[in-house]
Formats: sequence, C-alpha cells, structure tokens
Amino acid sequence: MNSEREAVIRVRDLVTHYGERQILKGVSLDVHAGEIMVIMGGSGSGKSTFLRFLLGLHQPTSGSIELLGQDITQLDSQGMYELRKKMGVSFQGGALFNSMTVGENVQLPLREHTELDDATIEIMSRLKLELVNLGGFDRLMPAQLSGGMVKRAALARAIAMDPRLLFFDEPSAGLDPVVSAELDELILKLRDALNMTIVVVTHELDSAFKIADRITVLDQGDILLVGTVEEVRNSDNRRVQDLLNRRPREEVIDPDAYMARLTDTPLNEL
Amino acid sequence: MNALRGLENLGRGTVRAVEEVGYLGALLAESLYWLFVGPFRKQPVRVEAVFQQMRQVGVNAVPIVLMLAFGVGVMLAIQGIHTMKTFGAESKVVIGIALSVTREFSSLIVGILVAGRSGSAMAARIGTMVVNQEIDALRVIGINPVRYLVAPALVALLIVVPALTVLADIAALFGGAVYTSLDVGISLAAYAQDTADVLTVDDVMQGVNKAFVFAVLIALIGAANGFGATGGAEGVGKVTTRSVVMSISAIVMADMLFTFFLTR
Amino acid sequence: MQHAITERQGASVLSLGGEIDLSNSPQARKLILAEIKAGNTLAIDLSGVSYIDSSGIASLVEGYQKAKSGGSRFGLVAVSEPAMKVLKLARLDQVFPLFASVDDFLV
Repeated sequence: MNSEREAVIRVRDLVTHYGERQILKGVSLDVHAGEIMVIMGGSGSGKSTFLRFLLGLHQPTSGSIELLGQDITQLDSQGMYELRKKMGVSFQGGALFNSMTVGENVQLPLREHTELDDATIEIMSRLKLELVNLGGFDRLMPAQLSGGMVKRAALARAIAMDPRLLFFDEPSAGLDPVVSAELDELILKLRDALNMTIVVVTHELDSAFKIADRITVLDQGDILLVGTVEEVRNSDNRRVQDLLNRRPREEVIDPDAYMARLTDTPLNEL
Repeated sequence: MNALRGLENLGRGTVRAVEEVGYLGALLAESLYWLFVGPFRKQPVRVEAVFQQMRQVGVNAVPIVLMLAFGVGVMLAIQGIHTMKTFGAESKVVIGIALSVTREFSSLIVGILVAGRSGSAMAARIGTMVVNQEIDALRVIGINPVRYLVAPALVALLIVVPALTVLADIAALFGGAVYTSLDVGISLAAYAQDTADVLTVDDVMQGVNKAFVFAVLIALIGAANGFGATGGAEGVGKVTTRSVVMSISAIVMADMLFTFFLTR
Repeated sequence: MQHAITERQGASVLSLGGEIDLSNSPQARKLILAEIKAGNTLAIDLSGVSYIDSSGIASLVEGYQKAKSGGSRFGLVAVSEPAMKVLKLARLDQVFPLFASVDDFLV
C-alpha cells in the first residue's frame, strides 16, 4: 500500500563528508505523505547528520534530496525560502530564541512569512501552545521553562505555520517517561488531525515503536533496514538486533592494527 | 625538519588569515545585500532591531565615553603643558590638544570602548545562538541569520560610533580646557576661541571617517567570531575574548594606515 | 475557498467551502467580522470545508469572541469531518456552539 502513496521526501544516493571523513555513504529513502517515519540508530550512526541535510542546512557531496517534489540540493535561495514555509522543525534542545517570550517564539514564523492580522497571529500562537498543553505560558521567557516545556514550546513553534513536513530531533531525549509519552501522543494526534508527514530522529526504542509507521535503521552511515515496526522487531540482521537489545557492538579485532594504534607506531615498524 | 615544519605552520597561518579576511568580506557583502535588496524580496532588515542595537551600543555607552574622553583631554593637557614648558610656549598647548583629540584620540577611544563593550557582546550573543542551535532554527524558519543579526548591528554601529566620536571630541576638548585653564590660567572662553581658530572641518572629519571604518570592523569581527563558536559555553567565552583582541588590533592597525595616508 | 452569504429568518448564514488556509483566511475573517459588526446573528456553515488550517480556526475564534462581547448569536453549522478533526485537536468542539443544520441553529 505504501508504494502507491506519494513520496513527499525522496532521498537518492546521499553522500556527505565532514572534512575528509565520509559520514553518509549513499543513503536512499522515501517518506510517504501522512506517514510517521522514525530514523533510528546509535550515536555515530549518522542519523543527526542525515536530519541536518534533510533540513537543507548543508550541501551534500553528492546525491539528491527532494522535499515536496523539489530537489533542495539544486534549489535557489528564493525557492528554498518558499519551501521552508511548508516545513517545521523541532530541535533537540528546543532552540527557542532566548531573547523573546514563548509566545513571540511561536509567532515568529507567522510574522516572517504571512501578512495575517495581529489578532489572528496571536490567537494562532495561543492555539498552538494549547495544543502542546502550554496554554497561558505565552508571556514567559524560555529560561523560565522546564526541559519538557521547552521541547513542547519548540514543537508549538515548529507547527506554527501548519507545515506539511514536520521534523523532530530526539523528542524524548532528557525527558521523564510521562512527558515523553505525552509528546508521542501529541505527534500521533498531529498527524491524524492535520495530516502532516513527520520525520522523527530518535534513539529511544519505546518511543520509536509507539509512533512509527515505518522505521529506518541507520548504522555507520548506511541504511541497515527500512520497515514497519514488526519488520524491524523481527529482523534477523545482527546489528539491528544489537540495537534492539542494547548490546554493545562487537568488532573483530585486528591485533596488529590495535597495537599500532595503542603505541602510535606505524604498522610496518611494529 | 623543524624549519620545514615552521614554514608549513607559517603557510597554514597565512591561509587561515586570508580565509578569515575573505569571510569578513563575504559577511560585509551579504549584510549590504540584505540592506539594499532585502526589502524587494520581502525580507527586509528590521528597523526595530537597528534601534534596539543603537540604544544598547550607543545610548548606554554615553556616560563612559564622556568620562574616558574627558580623562584623555586632561591627560593630553598635562603632557602638552609639560612638553611646551621646555620652549616656554605653554599657551600653544591648545593646538596640540585640539588636533590630537579630533584627528586621533576620540575615534580611537570610542572604537576600543565599543569593541570591548559591544563587539564582544555581539560575539557572545551570536555564539550562544550557534551553540543552542538558535541559528539553525532561524535558518529553517527561513530567516537569514546575517539579515536578522548582522545587518542591523552593522547599521547601528555605523550611526553610533561616529556620533560617539563627535561626543568624545567635545568631552575631551572640555577636559583639556579645564586643566589648561587651571594650570596655565587661560580662561575657558579664550581656550574655546583658540580651539575654534585652529580646528578645521577636515580635522573633525578625519576622526569621524575613522569611526566609520572602526564600526565596520567591530561589527564584522564580532559577528564572524560569533558564527565560528563551537562546543558549548567555553567555546562562546573563547570567541568572545578573541573578538575583542582581534577588533582592537584591527582598529589600531587601521588607524595607523589611515593616519599615515591622511596626515602625510 | 468558496463563500456565500444568505439570509434566513433574520439570521445571516455564511457558507464556507473548499480549502481555508493562509492565503484566504483573511478574507473569511473579514466576512465574519463584518457580519458581527453589523450586529447580525451569524451561522457559519462549514459543511463544504475540505481543509481548514489554524489561521482559519483563529478567525472563527475571533469572530465568536467578538459576537459574544457584542451580544449577538453565533454558531457553527454542519461542520465537515476534516474541519471537525481540527476543532477537536484544539478541543474547540467544546467551546463553539455547534449545530447539525441551519434549522437547528434557528430553533
């Protein structure tokens, strides 16, 4: 059924470098309209990097990234500006603007992109804060909020424009289980009511299994697996199982190379 | 071997310096782009932000500028009278004070003060925003960080630094007058008359023109260091210090070149 | 967005249809506020709405608030399913006076 749906995110052969080091090694992925796609992986898997490229924050070495039918690796700045109106992003640490109130934070995208009446903008921003259970908090400064509240306020800002694409970086990192469960519920509600396509990057298994329609497992810059929750659970791939069972990865050790690293001696002099 | 490594380091340092200057140039070009082209793309530079910066950078700095400039005026008077005594020409000290204040000291003092107060604040503010991903957040909302943060500060500094320089001129001349009148016994009115006789518009403009250049240097160096911040609070502290040292050095070097070409 | 205003038994019925989003919600807002400013009893028929975004919802909220403070009657009529989903998400289904049909509103 999925294959018949429109792909609103289409990534092809994405290769990226950080300095000399290759981070993503040719990633291809489709995300369908109205789908919640969870991108999972341990630290160093490249999942955060992948998100940054999906957001158009960096130019890849090669490959293409199509969002809503437009290749953002080719798009000019005006085109990108237009496209950004349809994207919302909630960053890991919230990234609220500390010099503005919570309400002003949520209003900023609306003030930047629309010419709506002030009254409309204010009601909209309060509506979004109500959605994330922060009703009445619009006059507070971000510094006065707890960690969970900052995350929810950031989500309110991300959905200020009713975006078609919502990106969510580590929704449950650093939150207590109750608050993180609430956020998961909220993500599901948003998709159902507003028909958003949602990409969530996380390393939290429980949260991933709860909200995902499909899961992409990244490992060391490669996609190990794309599949439904069931398919991921039942995968016989060892790295996937390691990740699910929280097993540390076991690498085969090359004794000579290991000695060379420890003693900082070139391999041929050992 | 060591010589080779030294040469290599020198080369690398040079490349970095050239890159850095290139980056400052790019920042300047981008700021000017948003100032002039932004309004036509419905992405103007916010006027409120300019005023807010002007208040922080300018108005709040007025008391300290007045105090420092007054002190510089007094200092110049003391040194001038001491030097002129040798020739028995104490009354000629007025010319020395008038010219060195307007052509040199006012803009330099204001430049260094603003670099220390506001250049560092800008580096710290932008650096904190980088570290907190606020810059990323601006970009994904579609707000260009240079347009939003750098261009308003640049405009504000371009207005405020020359204005503070003129203010400093007045305070320093007054400081010089007060000391001279007490020590040598020239009345304030006579001092003012003498000063008006020797000063030309060119003298004042030399200081003001320098102030424009200093404003650009402070804004760009503060912003560039801020954007370069990495690694948490410590990183922000590092770029803040770096921005102060760099902008004061740049101001002194620019001043030297300026004086060389304009005075000869 | 399509819109039409008809009059029934002294009440204005504003029918909105199609997609209400950032591009046309200001127009919807203007229509709503004009009716309320004129002191009219206003029923907004949302049966033909296939999509409504939060700027549209915000206009309804503002209209309802103005009607309340002005002492005129206000109601949403035959809210379509997509619109109802959005109202429910914001728990506004518990706030707006909702009616199954214009007749119900007029009773």
